[in-house]
Amino acid sequence: MRKMKRVVGLFLMFTLILSITACGSKTEQKADKEADVQSEETTQETNTEDGAGTEPVTIKLFTNLPDRTTGQGFLEQQIIDKYMQENPNVTIEIEALQDEAYKTKFTAYTSSNNLPDVLSVWGQPAFIDPVINSGYLAELNEADYADYNFIPGSLAGFSKNGKIYGLPRNTDIQVVFYNKKLFADNGISVPTTMQELYDVADKFNALGIAPCSIDGKDKWPLAIMYTDFIMKLTGDNTLLPNSIGAKDLSDPNFKKAADAMNELISKDFFQKSFTASDYGASRNLFAQGKAAMFYMGSWEMSMATDEAIPEEVRNNIGAFNLPSPDGAKSKTTDLSAWNGGGYAVAEKSPVKEEAIKFLNYIYKPENWAKGAWQNGICIPAQSYEEYLTGNETEVQQTLTNLLSQATNISGTPINDCGTPTFKTTSEDLSQQFATGMIDSETFVSKLNEALQ
Amino acid sequence: MHKLFSNKWIILSLIAPAIILFAFAILVPIIMSGYYGMTEYAGMGEPIFTGMKNYKRLFFNDPTFWKSLRNALLLGLGFVFIQHPICMIFAILVDKVSGKWEKFFRAAYFIPNVISVAVIASMWVYIFNYDFGLINNVLKWIGLENLQAEWLNPDHALGSVLFVLIWHGFGWGMLIYYAGVKGIDQELYEAAAIDGATGLRTYQYITLPLMKPVIRVNVTLAIISALKQMETVYLLTNGGPGDTTQFLANYLYLKAFRSYEYGYGNAISVIFVIVCILATVILNKIFKSTEEY
Amino acid sequence: MDFVGKNTRSKKIGRIFLIGFMIIVAIGQLFPLIWLFDFSLAKSGDLFASDLLIIPDPPQWVNYVTAFVDGKVLKYLFNSIIVNVITVVATVMISLLVAFACTRMKWKLSKMTMGILLLGMMIPIHATLLPNFILYSKMNLTDSIFALLIPYIAFALPQGIFIMSSFLEGIPKALEEAAVMDGCGIYRIIFQIIFPMMKPAMITISIMTFLNSWNEFTMAMTYLESDKYRTLPFSVLNFAGQYASNYAVQFAVMVLTALPALVVFILLNEQITKGITVGAVKG
Repeated sequence: MRKMKRVVGLFLMFTLILSITACGSKTEQKADKEADVQSEETTQETNTEDGAGTEPVTIKLFTNLPDRTTGQGFLEQQIIDKYMQENPNVTIEIEALQDEAYKTKFTAYTSSNNLPDVLSVWGQPAFIDPVINSGYLAELNEADYADYNFIPGSLAGFSKNGKIYGLPRNTDIQVVFYNKKLFADNGISVPTTMQELYDVADKFNALGIAPCSIDGKDKWPLAIMYTDFIMKLTGDNTLLPNSIGAKDLSDPNFKKAADAMNELISKDFFQKSFTASDYGASRNLFAQGKAAMFYMGSWEMSMATDEAIPEEVRNNIGAFNLPSPDGAKSKTTDLSAWNGGGYAVAEKSPVKEEAIKFLNYIYKPENWAKGAWQNGICIPAQSYEEYLTGNETEVQQTLTNLLSQATNISGTPINDCGTPTFKTTSEDLSQQFATGMIDSETFVSKLNEALQ
Repeated sequence: MHKLFSNKWIILSLIAPAIILFAFAILVPIIMSGYYGMTEYAGMGEPIFTGMKNYKRLFFNDPTFWKSLRNALLLGLGFVFIQHPICMIFAILVDKVSGKWEKFFRAAYFIPNVISVAVIASMWVYIFNYDFGLINNVLKWIGLENLQAEWLNPDHALGSVLFVLIWHGFGWGMLIYYAGVKGIDQELYEAAAIDGATGLRTYQYITLPLMKPVIRVNVTLAIISALKQMETVYLLTNGGPGDTTQFLANYLYLKAFRSYEYGYGNAISVIFVIVCILATVILNKIFKSTEEY
Repeated sequence: MDFVGKNTRSKKIGRIFLIGFMIIVAIGQLFPLIWLFDFSLAKSGDLFASDLLIIPDPPQWVNYVTAFVDGKVLKYLFNSIIVNVITVVATVMISLLVAFACTRMKWKLSKMTMGILLLGMMIPIHATLLPNFILYSKMNLTDSIFALLIPYIAFALPQGIFIMSSFLEGIPKALEEAAVMDGCGIYRIIFQIIFPMMKPAMITISIMTFLNSWNEFTMAMTYLESDKYRTLPFSVLNFAGQYASNYAVQFAVMVLTALPALVVFILLNEQITKGITVGAVKG
């Protein structure tokens, strides 16, 4: 009898907990729904008013920057807080997930046709084309951005048929970061030709230091490197997009670029088992001074201000452009660069007008561009000349010079040029090629196959 | 009594919660999955019905699929023939030790399964590292330098991944066999001792046969679990380098959520379920035929 | 006399070797925890670079403070506890009812029902992510506690039912028959007679279900939207940057996440012995 009572008691408690939480969530949901309905009515009334509205509005922001205390996430949060302060009727709800989780959740949202109002997107065909084509993104008014100083060409990846669907957050340049102290201590100077780079690799290998660290596990850095070689070999930034568009990679330069890349790798240029090294591992290998170079995008300029990195590395970071292979037609100032991450607004958003207003606020040059540059976070996609303080880290200065002197810019890396399926296949192939599992001819022909 | 035990209302009330939950969270999604398996769908826009096209591609045009299936089955065999015997031995040893040690070992051996898989995977990637990892360092230390290898390069990756997966399941396997060992009546051992049975023979003639039902359960679970392996593989190598360490569940995930080939990914999951069912049926047959005593 | 002495001595030595060997294995098993704790006291830039274990100098206890505060550990811990307790209790209860119905009650579809429910074990979770999300979206269940409870319980049931029914087979029907003679209804039989004897099964199922859902992340991140119901595995995310992350603090978070699970496991570990010996004495 006692046991029976205990069991019944347990059940009652269970049901009680269940009903409390159920009621709680139901009423909260009801409140949310009412707020949404209210805000929908409001936005229809306050149409194109630019001043702060008075009806409460909730904007959902879905971002791939979970860390709100450093880097881009920090900047984003600051701008959000500022906006909410200036517009007290607006509440911005944030859902933040990192890269992989972000993409999975993104698919969940599109499949249920229920996207958040403002969301992170990548302005590259592999990601954004299907999204735009399915009509998920709201069209933005080009005239709004006349004074925003977007670098020419940066909006291309976010547009279709002359209409803009998103705005880029940063300009990414692929560079070789290097440890100035390790170079200086061993009498090694910055290479300007490919042959010199081979020599540098040999010297570091002899010293037992990995010449260059790369994130081989995530595969895309390897695809970017291949694109870098294509650019550096031909000096022609139309070859790749045209070939992808024509679904034809028969141009002999593709194989030549692969061969050149293979030659570099075969000098033991990368760390051992680089395909097991993920982003964090490869970055820390460099940050710990165990690798002399780190092949990564310009967003890593923030390493110079990252206190978790030992001082003697942090204060000695430089960057140089990957040299051109011998006999190349490119100039040393040709760069591998593109515009990747950005934001867009959902077409079906119940608070579309307010969301676009918020989006435009983020991109006001004094908000994102200034914050990104002056805090050493990343290179914005807008002109930042007026925000140069003269106090930039050396890496920042080098990168700025590279960008301002650039004679040619590669554009979207190969893996992001085609369909999403092509993205994963090309990345897989890049990894297989880099580890020597397939040779350059097979690599190019399989890429070609994947395009069809 | 018979009436009581076949009362329809009572039966319904007993199984209702389970059936509702199951239908909602498992059955309906799987049926939807079956439907999507016959479409071309990127997770956005509209699914386009393509009939058996995905399955044709899966069977005739997708070497990675077969590789991942092979790897998963290899893992299953590894579980059954390597992991389980070790678990069984340790279950018996832990039981034998008794006293305070028994409790300690029982807990200690299970610890890796309490921590999140993300930690375990990071740790192993680290241990396999050529320059700084534990394995190569130990080999150097005991003078077997020439056995050092890049454990995660194309030649060795599969073995390394299999090793980690087999190691990881040790805790669970041991626990279940341990429960089985504990369930054997002490009296049987005493009777056997009186009859003159000693050491190994006791295990051979008493323990093992009485553990048959537990073994059967565990083996079936092992094969299914081998097919389901996803998180660990994803975190360790993500199927790489290339597709040397691709496993079925991981491949499914990649196709569905990375390549935006959601329809294709679902076709894989339908095949997955079929393979599991086949495996269960075959195992049942095997075990029935051994129950002849 | 001599004979006995030799025997116990060799037995003692044998035992020492046995325990020694098992301790070595135990160290191997405990290593991941040591590794995790070690690096949780390092700086983010120290991880994944060189040595297998380091002596952080100085130990960054601040990582734990950061983890606790910025990782919203208290809030997520509370959610985790509620979700997991409900999941475990519900799974155990429902498994028992179903297992009893399918093994003891007499009806035509008993075997088939069991078969279908066990089929649940063969379903890859990722295949159900999108369909479930669409379903929950339509029913406005996303971002509610049910978005977690329903799939967690549903996926834990097949295993639970499997184990319950295996254990049930070991319980003689005589007890039930006697109870019926005494005029007991089915529910009384289940809760007064069967329930107490199923302790080992219930504990095993509790451990399995708890551990599976305590560290579960994929389903939680797909079905939840806001911070309201997020569970502990999300804490790690708060320190994840777009590419690189604050690894050391993430490790601290993972230690904090593992602690309650360890405590629960060690507590239940005690119960296993009690449950099993009770069963052994009775049977």
